[in-house]
Amino acid sequence: MKKMRTKKKVMTVSLKTSDRKKRNNRISYALVFLVLGFILSFSYRTLGPGSETQQLRSQIDSKEEGFREELIEQKERNKQLTDEISSKQKTIAEVEQTLSDTEENHDLLVKEAKSLRLLLGVVPASGQGVRVELADGDYDPAEQNPNEYIVHESQVLLVVNELKIAGAQALSINGQRLNANSSIKCTGPVITIDGQTYPAPFVVEAIGDSNALNSSLMLKGGVMDSLLSDNIEMKIEKRKEILMPALRDDIQG
Amino acid sequence: MWLPILGLILGVSLGFLSDIQIPQEYGNYLSIAVLAALDTLLGGIRAHLQRVYDDQVFITGFFFNILLAAGLAFLGVHLGVDLYLAAIFAFGVRLFQNLAVIRRVLLTKWSEYRKVSTTNTSK
Repeated sequence: MKKMRTKKKVMTVSLKTSDRKKRNNRISYALVFLVLGFILSFSYRTLGPGSETQQLRSQIDSKEEGFREELIEQKERNKQLTDEISSKQKTIAEVEQTLSDTEENHDLLVKEAKSLRLLLGVVPASGQGVRVELADGDYDPAEQNPNEYIVHESQVLLVVNELKIAGAQALSINGQRLNANSSIKCTGPVITIDGQTYPAPFVVEAIGDSNALNSSLMLKGGVMDSLLSDNIEMKIEKRKEILMPALRDDIQG
Repeated sequence: MWLPILGLILGVSLGFLSDIQIPQEYGNYLSIAVLAALDTLLGGIRAHLQRVYDDQVFITGFFFNILLAAGLAFLGVHLGVDLYLAAIFAFGVRLFQNLAVIRRVLLTKWSEYRKVSTTNTSK
């Protein structure tokens, strides 16, 4: 009997401990599931769809997309601008080409104008040239006709024309500038150039290539020979620098 | 039976309703903790089905795994080693192994049950 009772007591004690153990287990399980639920829901809330992180990410994505589109747009614009630049540069090159052409033309025109102006005699001229002095021959008592040894206007004209043909840019006689319309007239012992009278000796100055001018005058059978045969004293000098005044206004009209 | 379910409900509601914000860069630890928790849970179920289940091992393993995984990942970030990748890999592999074992055990149990039921009916 006693043995039985003790056995029963032992049984109840073991039951009690198993009960407590079970309850402890349940509490621990509850804790485990609580933590599990918390972690799952929390991570869903923080990392899942519709969460702040996701929203941020989608925002960043859309921003990136926008930037990318902007970049593409900018690149296209760049390309467009580059094309525009190249076409503009082409135009510039063309314009420059025409400009340089016109400048060349302009240069030529300026040169031409300069030489024309020199020929017209409206500007003072300077440069290399020749100086031709024509003087009357020595008085020869044996000669009755003084025409045989004085300088005639035709001879001056000959010299002047020869110089012009040889490329003289500017001419003057005794300091009187000649232009294209100048006239040389014979008035007895003197000659009249554009209304101004000059006595002998006549000094014809020409600006131009001095060698060419000189050799044109010195041609065999040319001006020099014919003048010398007319008993005229003729001196030709090459000058490095000849200064010539402009045509005087009072004569020009 | 109702106590663990109550705990689960309480945990879920706590997780949804709590106003705790964690910085972006700690998201990795959270995901590792989730993985560890799921792994331990599945491990517990497998152990139960294989009749080698132990309360102490399960409960300590649950909390310890979570803390260890998150802590290791944290350490890895601070050491410049991507340890959270290792944790994800290890837990993922174990998770699928556990799932496979559970599936197999359940399959054998089911076929046994069917055999028993067919013998019963044939009798």
